[in-house]
Amino acid sequence: MIDARPAVEQLRVAFTQAIIGVGSLHGIPILRLDKRDVPTVAHFIHTHPGLRGSLSLLWAVDHRPREARDELCYLFTLAARKDWLLLATDLPDGEREFSSITPTLHAAKWYEREVRDLFGLIPVGHPDMRRLVRHEHWPKGTHPLKKDFSWNRVLERVQGQYAFRKIQGEGVFEVPVGPIHAGIIEPGHFRFSVAGEPIMQLELRHFWKHRGVEKLFEQQQLTAAVPLSERVSGDTTVGHSLAYCQAVEILLGMEVPQRARYLRSLFLELERLHNHIGDVGAICNDTAYVLAHAHCGRMKEQLMQLNDRLAGSRFLRGVNCVGGVAVDVTDAQAAQVVTELDAIERDFTTIEKILFANASLTERLENTGILTERIAWDHAVVGVVGRASGMDRDIRRDRPFAAYGELQPQVPFYRYGDVRARMRVRLDEVHESIRLVREIRRRLPQGPLTVRPRREPVAGEWAISAVEGWRGEILYVVMAGELGRIHRCKVRDPSFVNWPAIQWAALGNIVPDFPLINKSFNLSYAGNDL
Amino acid sequence: MFRIIKKSLKTGVVTGHHPDVNVPHEPVSREAIEKARPFRRSMTIREVDTGSCNACEMEMNALVNPIYDVERFGVHIAASPRHADALVVTGPVTVNMERALKDVYKATPDPKLVIALGDCAVHCGMFKGSYAVTGPVERHIPVDVRIPGCPPRPAEILAVLEALRKDPPDSAR
Ligand code: SF4
Repeated sequence: MIDARPAVEQLRVAFTQAIIGVGSLHGIPILRLDKRDVPTVAHFIHTHPGLRGSLSLLWAVDHRPREARDELCYLFTLAARKDWLLLATDLPDGEREFSSITPTLHAAKWYEREVRDLFGLIPVGHPDMRRLVRHEHWPKGTHPLKKDFSWNRVLERVQGQYAFRKIQGEGVFEVPVGPIHAGIIEPGHFRFSVAGEPIMQLELRHFWKHRGVEKLFEQQQLTAAVPLSERVSGDTTVGHSLAYCQAVEILLGMEVPQRARYLRSLFLELERLHNHIGDVGAICNDTAYVLAHAHCGRMKEQLMQLNDRLAGSRFLRGVNCVGGVAVDVTDAQAAQVVTELDAIERDFTTIEKILFANASLTERLENTGILTERIAWDHAVVGVVGRASGMDRDIRRDRPFAAYGELQPQVPFYRYGDVRARMRVRLDEVHESIRLVREIRRRLPQGPLTVRPRREPVAGEWAISAVEGWRGEILYVVMAGELGRIHRCKVRDPSFVNWPAIQWAALGNIVPDFPLINKSFNLSYAGNDL
Repeated sequence: MFRIIKKSLKTGVVTGHHPDVNVPHEPVSREAIEKARPFRRSMTIREVDTGSCNACEMEMNALVNPIYDVERFGVHIAASPRHADALVVTGPVTVNMERALKDVYKATPDPKLVIALGDCAVHCGMFKGSYAVTGPVERHIPVDVRIPGCPPRPAEILAVLEALRKDPPDSAR
């Protein structure tokens, strides 16, 4: 499946001097570079027509106390074969500066600001050095992910003001919204600069809900942190815990049994279903079409009650555990699930017909909030949003996990990039998920649900895992520490990459359409803010 | 049009189609019931999220779907704290949200009820002690009602709201 060797060869020829070493871990090729060479190599990977790598993840590790160095890692997904390629560079103790790749790679923008806030490393040349995670009232020099920052330190408060970008001109005014919004949603701040009706600029300011999740992971044992991963973003309980479990399973050398793999796929699809159906309803609601909202809300509730009966939790909490699943599904239950989903599919199809026959709805959705393919690519947008803007990517197909290797999911994708396209991706995925669940039931093998670890985790070893959650790809990097603890856990919810893109999708639209655009993205604040 | 009517007729009434739940884990206090007295027939709620994982929000959202249809009990969800009789707060209070929570509390007219929803709001849950969390809701504003659970089911939330509308248990005697 993973074969980035030709790409590695190509880079080796092109950058003989820059590459210090070539290695590989769990099948992912790693190129070690001097920190000065990172921007050139990254730019090459991003733009070379044979590679077209998009930046999937950028993270830093503080290796103390074992080694006195910081490390920066850049994970690329190569377009052609969807392979992973990793660049790594070291910052010896005391060195705080590294060259920013943002000037040539837009997708790195938030990652580098995040690294600066959390580790105190400075991306030299970054066009936007404002704080991201640490709001202005955090005292100077607080970098929570540094190893000498205690996890339960009480922060004091200082004065400070965030400098929003300003547009000036006749008739231009600003509309600040949030952090607390109307309706039952999470906190975040949006600042619109408008001239008359259309939005000229939208600036986001997030991270109100920063709860220190990554630092909390570092206080846990590898095998004990599943509940925490379930609470990173509550609506993606299965996606996050599955991604976390998979990473730990690599570290412990566990081969998850077949039955558990199938059940994991089943739960992941159930999660996708209730969220997608809820979203379709919510999009309609934002165009004041309450009928569809009511029907979708009803179906969503039906699915949540089904979850509750299966797993004792409406959000499927506690189904994943390291080494397999903790909840079994009997044959009778599986049959019941399929019968209920059949009914829901019929139900949903009639709603779909009603939606498509509604011209005024289509009118609102079409050409609203267009995210062009170009911008989607520049921002390395993932998931539903990406698939509505011409990015044909789905981890379930490209990098199969759980039972997806055998299930062969079909991936819908559209090119218009407007609200309607995002809704259509969801509609199609609902049908596909139901098909997958039928397939899972037909093939569900017998056997054990969990395995025991085959080896002790090696301190300093790490693993990456990816899961296609209902929003898009969820990435986890877990590094083992001493005595089975977690040294570092980098969590990336798809929201983190898709949020900046919404600033582009909103341009030129009128402010009253923004809620609709926002709903069609439906990103998580909790998963973004961590 | 006919399709819509047919669909509505076929679906019928779904309100109340949810499994029963046990009464709330922690009985609603007398003081809270007294305080809620003016809002018995109509209570307007403003939901404030101070750092939840968003599952608690989803359950609050579920309350307005046709199955729970909380409006039939005279409970409304308001868009502004200035229209609210009660605040429902979810999540541990993060360092970044502390100010906003206090502002919302100040903006809500008296008399007001504060409901802490979910383990996080009640005692910070999993996020207890973190550098980015300043403590449960109670540390910042007075809390009248606690609804534990991670997250509490919508039916459990309904049960608590119902308890608030009843006479206190011993006043009947
Ligand atoms: S109580 Fe549980 S469900 Fe609610 S916000 Fe906290 S972690 Fe999420």
